[in-house]
Amino acid sequence: MTGATSGIGLETVRLLASRGYRVLGIGHRPDAILRAENDIQSSVPQASVRYFCADLLQQREILHLAGELTSDVETNSHGRLHALINNAGCARSRYMTTEDGIEHQFALNYLSGCLLTRELLPLLLKARGRVIMSCSQSHKGAKVHWNDLMLRRRYNPLTAYKQSKLCDILFAKALNDRYRSFGLTAYAVDPGLVNTDIGSKAGGIVKAVWRLRRRHGVHPRVPAKTYVFLCQEIPRPCGLYYHACRAQVPSREVTGEQAGRLLQLSERLCGISFEVPA
Amino acid sequence: MNVFITGAAGGLGRAMAIECARRGCSLFLTDINADGLIQIKRGLERQFDINVTARPCDLTDSSSVDRLLAVTDQFGIRFDMLLNIAGIDVEGGFLTLEREQAAAIVTLNDAATLRMTHAILHRRRPGRHFSLIFVSSLASMFPMPLKATYAASKRFLLDFATALQRELKDQRVHVLTLCPGGMVTNDDVVEAIAAQGVWGRLTANPLETVARKTIDRALSQSGCYVPGISNRLLAAIGHMVPRSWIAALIYRRWHGAQQKWMTVKPGKSTVSDRTPAFCRVEH
Ligand SMILES: NC(=O)c1ccc[n+]([C@@H]2O[C@H](COP(=O)([O-])OP(=O)(O)OC[C@H]3O[C@@H](n4cnc5c(N)ncnc54)[C@H](OP(=O)(O)O)[C@@H]3O)[C@@H](O)[C@H]2O)c1
Repeated sequence: MTGATSGIGLETVRLLASRGYRVLGIGHRPDAILRAENDIQSSVPQASVRYFCADLLQQREILHLAGELTSDVETNSHGRLHALINNAGCARSRYMTTEDGIEHQFALNYLSGCLLTRELLPLLLKARGRVIMSCSQSHKGAKVHWNDLMLRRRYNPLTAYKQSKLCDILFAKALNDRYRSFGLTAYAVDPGLVNTDIGSKAGGIVKAVWRLRRRHGVHPRVPAKTYVFLCQEIPRPCGLYYHACRAQVPSREVTGEQAGRLLQLSERLCGISFEVPA
Repeated sequence: MNVFITGAAGGLGRAMAIECARRGCSLFLTDINADGLIQIKRGLERQFDINVTARPCDLTDSSSVDRLLAVTDQFGIRFDMLLNIAGIDVEGGFLTLEREQAAAIVTLNDAATLRMTHAILHRRRPGRHFSLIFVSSLASMFPMPLKATYAASKRFLLDFATALQRELKDQRVHVLTLCPGGMVTNDDVVEAIAAQGVWGRLTANPLETVARKTIDRALSQSGCYVPGISNRLLAAIGHMVPRSWIAALIYRRWHGAQQKWMTVKPGKSTVSDRTPAFCRVEH
C-alpha cells in the first residue's frame, strides 16, 4: 500500500492488518512512518506491518523501493505479492516538476503507480494478484490532454488532478486488457469525498477550498472497506471501477484505445515496457 | 538551436530546460548536483525527441569550469543561447551568516555568472543572434535589509546586463534580465510564501509562465523582464521612493516574516542547502 501513513491508506492498512494480512506500507517521511507504525500497533496489536520509505515523486526512488519490496516478498512470501494498492496522491496549487521534469500531480497520482506496478509485475503475476488504483469520481468530465500532458501551457491545478485520476482508471483498464488472461486483475476505486489532509498540504487556493469541502467528507475507514473488499473477495470482482464495494460506470473517456495510448506513453516516460509473459 | 543552461537541476533551471526542450532546442546542461542532472537529462530525452548533454560542474571553481568547457570544445559546440540560472541565497541577517557564507553568495551569483557568460559568449555561433539571459530578482530593485548580500548580488547582475547589452548591441546579442518574485519550485517555497502572507502570494509568479515568457522575450528583445503586474508596480514604486525609506520599510516587513520562517525551518540557513528557499532562489 502506498500513501500508507495517513488518510485512506492508513485506515486500509489497519483494516487489512486486523484481518490477518501481512502488509507492506510505503511512506515518504520517517516521522510520519513512525507515527503510523505506532498507531497501527496500538490499535491492532497482532498486526504484521512493515513500512518502507520512498519519495514516489522521484523515479529513482521508486526503482530502489521496488528492489527492497521484491527482496522482502521473495524472502517472506515465496515471491508472491497478492495485491498492490497505488494510493499515494497529492493535490497541488501550482505547477511544479519532479527531478525527472514531470508535473507533480501526474507524477505522483498516476505515473508512480504505473512504474511501481511494472517493477513488481513478476511478483503480482506469480500470485495471480490484484492491482488497485486510488481514483476519484472527479475523473468524470476530464480528458487526457495528449498534446500537453503536463498542462504547461495553461496550468489549472484541478484539471491536472482530474486528469491524473482519469489516467489511474485508464491504467487499470490497460492492465486488465493485457494481463487478465494471465490471472492479474486491476481496479480503480472512487473513495468518495473523504475527510483527510490531502488538500491541506497543497497550499494556496486549493487549501482554502479543501478546508470547506472536507467537512462534508466521510471518515477514511469508510472507503477502506472497498479496498479490502477488492483485495479479498472471492471469486474476484469482475468490474473495473468501484465505489462503496459496488461496480460503477466510469467516464466515457475510458476506452481501450485511450488506455493503450497511455500505457505506451508511460512506457516512454519511465523507460520501461509492459511485456506479455511468454 | 543550441542552449546552455546553468543550475539546470533546480526548480527554475528545470522549468527553463523543459521549455527549451519543448521548442526542440538541443541542450547543454550543467549543475553542481550530479544526480539531479542525470535525472533531468533522462527525463527530457524521454519526453522530447532532442539531444541533451549534461555535465556536473562547480561554477565557482575555475578548473571545474575548464573541464566543462573542454567537453563543449571537444565537440566543437557553438551556442545560440545562455541561461545563467545557478544562484544561491542564505537565510539570515548579514552578521548571522558565517563569513564564508556571505562571500559564497557573491562568488556564485556574480563571479561564476561572469565566468560562464564570458566563456559562452566566446563560443557563440558566428553570424547569428545570440540570447543571453541573467536571472536577477525582484530583490535587485531595492536595498534589502536581512537579504542585503543576496539583493546586492542580484543588483550587480541587473546593472551589468544593462551595460553589457549596450556593449554588444552591434554584435547581435540580446541581453535579457529576468527579475521574478517568489516562484513555487518545491514544497519549502510554498511554506515560505505562506509565511510572507498576502505580499508573498501577490508577488509569487507561476513557474511555467515565467519560463515560457522569458524564452519568448529573450529570442526577440533585450531589457529587463519583471513578471506579474504587482511586481511591476513594486518595481516602479522602488524607483520613486527614497532608498533609505524603502530599506526601513522592508526591514519591518522581513523581520517578522523571516522569524516566522526560520522557526518553521530552523535548518534552512546553510550554503550547501539545495533549496535555500525563503524567497525566489534559483538553482
Ligand atoms: N480525500 C478524498 O476525498 C479523496 C477523494 C478521491 C480520491 N482520493 C485519493 O485517495 C488517495 C489517498 O488520499 P487521502 O485523501 O487519503 O490523502 P492523504 O491522507 O494526504 O494521503 C496521501 C498519502 O500519500 C502520501 N504521499 C504524499 N506525497 C508522497 C510522496 N512524494 N511519496 C510518497 N508518498 C507520498 C502521503 O504521505 P504524507 O502524509 O506523509 O504526506 C499520504 O500518506 C489519493 O490518491 C487521493 O487522490 C481522495
